[in-house]
Amino acid sequence: MSVKPILSIKNLQKTYPNGVQALKGVSFDVKKGEFLVVIGLSGSGKSTMLRCINRLNEPTAGEMVFNDGKVEKDLVKLEKATDIKWLRQNVGMIFQHFNLIPRHSVLSNVLMGKLSKTSTLKSLFGIFSDEDIAEAMKYLKLVGIAEKAHIRADQLSGGQQQRVAIARALTQNPQILLADEPVASLDPATCHVVMDYLRKVNQELGITIICNLHFLSLVRQYATRVVALKGGELVYEGDPKSIDDAWFEKIYGAGAKEVHIN
Amino acid sequence: MKSYVVRRSILDGFTFAFLIASLAVWIINPTDEQALNMKLNVALFFAAFIVGTFVSHVLTKMKVTTLGEALFQPPYKKSVVSVSWYKTFSAWHLIVLLVGLIIVSIIKTKFSIYELLNEDGFNGAMRLFKGIFSPNFAILPKAILNIIETIFMAFLATALAIPFAFVLSFVSAKNIMTGTTGFWIYLAMRTLFNVMRSIEALVWAIIFSVWVGIGPFAGMLALMIHSIASLAKQYSEMVETVSEGPIEGVQSCGANKLQTIWYAIVPQVVLPYVSFTVYRWDINVRMATIIGLVGGGGIGTLLVQYQGQAMWPEVGTIIVVIAIVVWAMDQASAYIREALK
Repeated sequence: MSVKPILSIKNLQKTYPNGVQALKGVSFDVKKGEFLVVIGLSGSGKSTMLRCINRLNEPTAGEMVFNDGKVEKDLVKLEKATDIKWLRQNVGMIFQHFNLIPRHSVLSNVLMGKLSKTSTLKSLFGIFSDEDIAEAMKYLKLVGIAEKAHIRADQLSGGQQQRVAIARALTQNPQILLADEPVASLDPATCHVVMDYLRKVNQELGITIICNLHFLSLVRQYATRVVALKGGELVYEGDPKSIDDAWFEKIYGAGAKEVHIN
Repeated sequence: MKSYVVRRSILDGFTFAFLIASLAVWIINPTDEQALNMKLNVALFFAAFIVGTFVSHVLTKMKVTTLGEALFQPPYKKSVVSVSWYKTFSAWHLIVLLVGLIIVSIIKTKFSIYELLNEDGFNGAMRLFKGIFSPNFAILPKAILNIIETIFMAFLATALAIPFAFVLSFVSAKNIMTGTTGFWIYLAMRTLFNVMRSIEALVWAIIFSVWVGIGPFAGMLALMIHSIASLAKQYSEMVETVSEGPIEGVQSCGANKLQTIWYAIVPQVVLPYVSFTVYRWDINVRMATIIGLVGGGGIGTLLVQYQGQAMWPEVGTIIVVIAIVVWAMDQASAYIREALK
């Protein structure tokens, strides 16, 4: 018997209130433990899709069945605040602009990952259990930034901030980690550092990763599988190594040239 | 109907009715009885207003630009052909309106060069100035005690307003009150603040001096009401300009609404909040002085007592004390706000 996919997306659609149809019925499966990369031009619907998965955006139609072997739920049908909370405990996210709280310390930012499991009253007073703090420090060590724990988040470089964001997401103990253009605002060298940590998270902790990326060279290096979106539709699904020039033109349009980043 | 058409019609109709009414008063020279006949006069004014909107409509159809049209027409309709201003209808519309306003206001304020240069009156004013410029510092201790009362009145009013304004600022921010219910709460709160602010602190002081008796407590309550409304409005405008990033970051961790506000919004607005609050204290000290004039306690009450007895040297002392404190508060709040940027 084959293992059921951890996330099975079927006919996912999203139309924004202004009438823009960002997703026109996308279907694909995400296997447990894979490093899935989503590619496509700006405006192809990559971001919208990731944000639909953890319901920062509301999908218009379709289904997204989550199955970790214990629970099976359609993420589109979640409505109650407690269900959304459950979803976000299981699906962490990192962003292109890191989205940390600039004035708070690195540790305080990482502890945000425990908000969903902390009572509102305790969290308003900033009371987190010793175990939570120990766990936050453990993940800060994992991304190699534990010595910066008590520095304000806005004092760190971009790459360091993204690593803090990874630690924050890990503190949620998610099963899936969404990464929306995690290296798009970083320089090429830092880019690899962050991608290496994401791979470490994927391989050592076994967390499934769904990552939006721009650069094909990064895709070939890190992805275990690729899906490509164009104009809100799925145009490619398969092995990153088999994206050849013909596919490239299909995804990015004729005349596009690949930019290499080393 | 398009909203700019409504605005144009109201402006043009109103200016037309104003000019007609002014001319009518000038020609007929009504008696007091006629002037106080509200029903008839309002009806006549309204009739003139309707005729004015009609004239405005006809002129616009004839491609003549009225003042209302020039002011409110949407950008895409604005013509690029430049005509000398004195050849345009809207310019003459504006000139006639301004001249009319100035003539009527001169008559209404009983403007009189004669009174301004009248020798008796002028000498009286000189006596007053002489008194004020030779302050009687014997009452200085009393003045200082009173201004301390004023400062603390202003401080308590500001301090008590902070928690109310803080909580209210989130329920009156557009980006937090999403959805239909949220929008109506937002609208209701904003309207409430506008009403509360449009009633002068002076009027609140009169209301509270009847309620709790004349004195600093009434003055403090008046300032507090005014401060709640003003701070809540300023605070909520800050909340509306916060960046989305940290909000999404915290939301993606599964935080609930209260946690999101506390961790993603409050850190972004806390410095501007402190800055506004310091400034509000500064404003409240100045307002507290004025409120004292109607019995709100503090230095203002002392001022009005001496002024009633025409004791100008004592009034002079108080003015000096007020000026020093206001200047010091103004400087201090400016430096603090600068440091908080």
